[in-house]
This record gives sequence, structure tokens and C-alpha cells, in this order.
Amino acid sequence: MAGRIACLLVPDLPWVALVRAHPELAGRPLAVTAGAGPRAEVLALSPEAARRGVRLPCSAAGARAACAELAVHAASPALEEAARHALLDAALSTSPRAELAPPAAGLRAAEAAVFLDASGLTACFGSEAGFAAALSARALRLGLPAVVAVAGSRAVARIAARRHLPGWLARPPGEAGPVEVVTPGGDTAFLAPLPLELLDPPDALAEACTRFGLRRVGDLLRLPRRALLARLGADAARLLDVALGAGQEPPPPAPPEARLEESTELEGSVDRLEPLLFVLQGLLSRLAARLECRGLGCAELELGLRLAGGGRDVRRVGVAAPSVDVRVLLRLAALALEAHPPAAEIEGASVAAEGRPLRGDQLDFFRPAGPPPALLGRTLAELEALCGPGRVGAPVVVDTHRPGAFALAPFAPAASAARAEAPASATGAASRARSEREARAEALDHGAVHEAAPPYGHHLTVRALRPPLPAQVEARAGRPVRLASAVARGDVLQCAGPWRTSGAWWSDEERFAFDHYDVVTSDGTAARLRYDPSRRAWEVDAIYD
Amino acid sequence: MAPPPSAPLAEREPRLAAALRDLGARVRRGAPPETAAPRCPTGLDAVDRLLGGGFPRGGLSEIAGPPSSGRTSLVLALLAAATARGEVAALVDAADAFDPPSAAAAGVALPRLLWVRPPGLGEALRSASHLLAARGFAVVVLDLAASGARAAAPRARESRARGGDAAGASPESLGSRTWLRLRQATAGTDTALVVVADARLAEGSADLALDLAPASARFEGPAGPSDAPGAEGAFLAALESELRLVRDRRGGALRCTGARWPQRGAA
Repeated sequence: MAGRIACLLVPDLPWVALVRAHPELAGRPLAVTAGAGPRAEVLALSPEAARRGVRLPCSAAGARAACAELAVHAASPALEEAARHALLDAALSTSPRAELAPPAAGLRAAEAAVFLDASGLTACFGSEAGFAAALSARALRLGLPAVVAVAGSRAVARIAARRHLPGWLARPPGEAGPVEVVTPGGDTAFLAPLPLELLDPPDALAEACTRFGLRRVGDLLRLPRRALLARLGADAARLLDVALGAGQEPPPPAPPEARLEESTELEGSVDRLEPLLFVLQGLLSRLAARLECRGLGCAELELGLRLAGGGRDVRRVGVAAPSVDVRVLLRLAALALEAHPPAAEIEGASVAAEGRPLRGDQLDFFRPAGPPPALLGRTLAELEALCGPGRVGAPVVVDTHRPGAFALAPFAPAASAARAEAPASATGAASRARSEREARAEALDHGAVHEAAPPYGHHLTVRALRPPLPAQVEARAGRPVRLASAVARGDVLQCAGPWRTSGAWWSDEERFAFDHYDVVTSDGTAARLRYDPSRRAWEVDAIYD
Repeated sequence: MAPPPSAPLAEREPRLAAALRDLGARVRRGAPPETAAPRCPTGLDAVDRLLGGGFPRGGLSEIAGPPSSGRTSLVLALLAAATARGEVAALVDAADAFDPPSAAAAGVALPRLLWVRPPGLGEALRSASHLLAARGFAVVVLDLAASGARAAAPRARESRARGGDAAGASPESLGSRTWLRLRQATAGTDTALVVVADARLAEGSADLALDLAPASARFEGPAGPSDAPGAEGAFLAALESELRLVRDRRGGALRCTGARWPQRGAA
């Protein structure tokens, strides 16, 4: 069976992109101009403005003269670009092969189209009409009312979609666009009765065709190709190829990694966090809708701010687990901005997300079910937004003797279980042993070793004190006999030590050397006391508990 | 004249007897079958015996005690047992006192433990709520023990007497509504919520409350310098704690109310 190509078409991208970013403008008479000022050319009109009698071509002043309530906005290339890619996201949510059509020119300049491979999708959507309706509905959910057509080639699918544009104005706001399915193998029959103008012939060729009495595509198809080429040139042959179904190759598959971006220009400079967060909320909402449409989550957020004076502030915000929760992403962005406020007023903002698949829920026969991965991802993101970056994760024992050292790794219990259950092959065991030897050798090279390791191999549980609490110690013969601190106080009843812990001797900033004592004071507290010879200071750095 | 109570049911309640006969095997007489409340064991025999199997799932438990009373060791034993079963656990560490090497030595599978380090008490409580809502965590430990806070219990009572419920700067300022909310969030889940503090905070809202007290410390090894006062030995080998079960809402009659629990160092 021949391949099938679908075309997802938005006829008036400038006003659709504007309404997508400003939903409050929906249903209002709206004109999008090429620039500012009354003489600016109007590029696109909303259906409501057309119903009120505004006609293209016209200037902003002329449009206002026709409709006093008309809202005039300058076109935003950033919004249009984001809307164009959102259209591609809607297509990629239904088919793995989709690509943006090159921008059209002339009268079709306001058009945005995406071609996608519609072959074999009836199993998912029931029929090609069902697929087209689902695609149209998904585009509408992203704020993009679009026409969908399915045919045997790109050109025919696009023409089939354009055929519905005259009825576009009568479409009630908020309703999904119309769909058209050309019968498989019936592309030529479908085109034959249509006007020749739908094939977008160059002006000279269109004039020649009119002169020869060729008004419909069928008239062109009846002529012999060689004679047509001799009389009307290569453009006519190209037109004939389009009518005969050229362009049947499917679009290339989408790359596995996805980077989605939304951006906007601000009407005025912003110097406070609150209005900026309001802007970011809108951007993140649109970004999250696109991610959700494709079944992805935001794994890393990139926040871009265009500063007054031409500077640019770009910061990356880590997300604990892929998430599409706008509240969480906004909170993370707010934390990042609060921690490091921008250096100047902000004139434009953008958010970009690295899309990663949301975690699937794979149950295990032999292990208790943990939190559902999607819910866990959302919880991790919420916790990180609540507590701040670097404060949520799985604890890791650091290869150092520095007291209180710790590290956090991403919390992924399912992945760790899979690693733990991987068969320990001989090669794996050998490489593990080698890596341990190498790690040990590296530690020795760097001097990160216990200079006087405790003579015992036992580890009583400690509660770390971060930072260590200063202590007043009365010592006799170098051993503490009385202790006063916020956590332990009184006579030292029992004492052991000292053991020297030292390391990082090569770095002035990181060097440490302590004499540790285990003491039990008369108030019943067992504490780990340390003396820093360089500062001549006593501290309690842990409690045995 | 009414039939005597010792008469057969068919004589005393003929309609009920007829209905039971019609329903046949679908109806049984007697109280509903007792199902043991699921518990989360600690793996420590003495403690599990005391608790009737462990900390209750779907309930709020409290561990209260002063520093060096073994609260952290008990929590790590609970986390180690849960992670050894392949379950995941979470620790909301408001005191920022968690020591990963201690946990690893106690047998906690660190990759299965989610460590949350909230910057304040309010964030700690909200973190616990988020974790309970996520479901699937076997244990959520809310560590509110502030080392050094000695006389927390009287202050907590004073605060509650004033009707305080705001997430203030200290755990003692939390009122009963906070704990009721947490208990409600735990109910119906498979999660055992364990609050660790210097003194009991949840009081009546807790399903289980355990008081810990330090008993003794044992030093082992060669003796220290003879001229040093208090030099008992070379290293601190073990701490012993006393446990007292002060509340067990689900356990019925208390099996025993106290135990001694030696915490030995892990080799």
C-alpha cells in the first residue's frame, strides 16, 4: 500500500500565535501588524475582525477605521516560532515522523504547516478520519486551531487542507478545525475538479493557463506532458508533477532528544520578581502543555533573560525528576532567581526544557511496589522546589575521612535495584576489583587517608552536628575532664581517644586535622569531641545516639 | 409469654432464623474476623516484641528521647529492615543530622533511601505530607530532634495550652491540628510515619509512642593513661538504652511496657 501523508495546517499563524500567548484576546477583533505605528501593514486578521468588515491588504489605521474595537498588536517572531514548533509537537504526539514545512511566501506567508507520516496509524485511531480528528484536537489543546488533511503526497494533503480555508472564518472559536481524508489512490481524481490556483502556479504561468483556457487541475492533466513542457516551460511540468502526486516520501523520524522552547518579548522592562514570575508562568504553562502532549517531562529547565543594555542572563535549573507540573517548575525558577537576581532590568524572557520520557510504571514480581514513577517524579520535583536544589536525593558515602562529609545522588530506586540484580560476571567482578584498587591508589596519591585510623572496626550510630558546635573544655594532661556546650554539659565521666583525623594537606582551604575524643558527660550524653590544633579550638561534631 | 434467652433462635427470633436459613453459607454468626494491623518491623527482636511486630503502617508513631538515648539507631534499624525487604523509605531530616556512613554501617540500602533536608520546620512538615501523598514509601521518618533541646515536653504542653498550631520555629510550638492532619494523611496508606523528637509532640494523635532513655555506655579495649581521670578504655563499644512503650492504639492490651536494648557497634 502506498504511503500516506498528513498535513496539519494553521492558515493565520500571526494571530493564532498571539492568541495562544494571550488567551484573553480570543474572540476579539484582532489585527497583527508588521510593525508599530498607524502605517504598519496588517499581516493577519482574526475571524472576528474579518466579520466586522476589515479586509486585507490594509494598514493599521485603515483597519481601525473599519472596526473601532479592533485590537492591533505587532507581530512577534518569537511567539510565531514557538507556535510553529508547538504545531510540530502536536504532530509528533501522533506520529514518530514529522517535519515542519518550509515557510511559504506571498499570500501564504502567514501559513504554518507540518507534514507527518500517517501510514499505519489506523490501528491506533480506528480510521484515518479518526486520526485526523485526534490530531486536530491535540493541536487545539495547544492553542492551535488547525485544519488536517490526509492524502497520498505532501502537495495533495496541503491542497486538501487549503480547500477548507474559505469556511475557516465561519468556524466558532474554540472548535477543532475541519478534517479531510482523500481516498487512498484517489489523489488525481480528488484534484481534477479543483481550481488550478490551488497548485500555487507562478503568476506568469497562471496567466498563460488562463489564456489557454486551463481552469481546473483536470484540464492540465489531460494535456500531454511533452507538449506542455514545450509550450509552458519547466514550471508547468512541476505543476503537473504535483498534480500527479510528487512528494510521497515520508518525513524523517524525529530526533530522540527533544528541546522545547517558549519565549516572549516584554512590552516594558521588568525589574521586580513578581511580574517576571507572572510572565514565566505563562511561558511554562505553554511549555508544559507541549511536553505533556508528547508524553515528556522537563528534565532540565533553561531560563533565559534578555537584559536592558543588550546583556543576556542564562541559567540552568535542575529538576529532580522529569516533571510537567507548572507549579513546581515555577517554584524552581523563582528559587533560582531569588538566589541570584538578574543584574539589570529584563526586556525579554525564554524558557527551554530538555524533554525526557516520564518514568514508566514497571512492577516487579519479587519486590514490594514503591511509589508510582510518575507520582514519585512529581514528588521529587515538589520536594526540590520546596527545599531548594541539592537538598533532596539518595545519600552517598563519600570516599573521604573528613568528618560529616556527605553527597547526594539522584533518587532512582528502580534503577539501583536493576543494577543490584545485574549478574556479576567475571569481567564485571574483575573490573570492580580493579576500580576499587585504582580508587584506593588515587586516595593514597592524594593523601586522603586516615593518618591514625581508630583501632576499632565498629561504628556506633552518630547524629552529625552541621556545623560543629563550639565547646568549652577543661583538659588535664591533654584529656578533657569537663565539657560545656549546647548539646552536652558536665563532668567527663568516661573518655577515649584521641585519634587524629587528617587529610587534604595539599590544599590550604580544604586541609583538616583533628584530634577526636569519645566522651560521656555527667548529663548522660555520649558525644564526639574534637580539638583543632591549628585553631586551638574544641568542638562537638557528633552525638552518639 | 416471651421464650427464655436459652431457647433456640428459631423460637426467640423466628424471622431472623428464617432469613439466616435462606442466606445459608453466605452469612456467619459472630464478630468480624480480626485482621492484624500491618506492621513495619525493625529487625531488632527486643524492640519488635515490645511493639507487637514493629511500627504500624498507616499510622503515626513517635520516638522520643534525649540525645544518646538511641533514637537514631532505632530509626536506622527500621530503615535498614525496610530497605532490605526491597521497599523504599524516606527521611525528612529537619535537624540535618543524618550521617550516611552510620546508616550504611547499620545496613541501610542507601539507594533506596530518600534523604530530604528541609531548611525549616514548615518545609519539613510539608515534605512529609508530599511523601505521604506519593504513597509507596514503606517508612517516612520525620526527624525533628534538635540536639540539645532538653525540656521540650513542658514547653510543648504550654504551647498547646495556648492553642498554638502554626508551623513555628520549634517543633514544640506545633499544635494538635498539625499532628491530626499528618495522621489523617497517613491513614489508609501502607506507610509508617515515624516522628523522632526530644520529647513527645503528637501525644493523643499518635498511634504508637515510644520513650527512650540512655542506660549505660561501655568502653572496651586497653586502658587509657592512668593519670587521666575518666579514662575507661580505648574506644566506645556500646550504648544501652531503655525503651518504654507509652501508647499503642492498635495493639490492644500492652504485651510489655519496657525493654533494654544494647546498641553495639557494627563491625
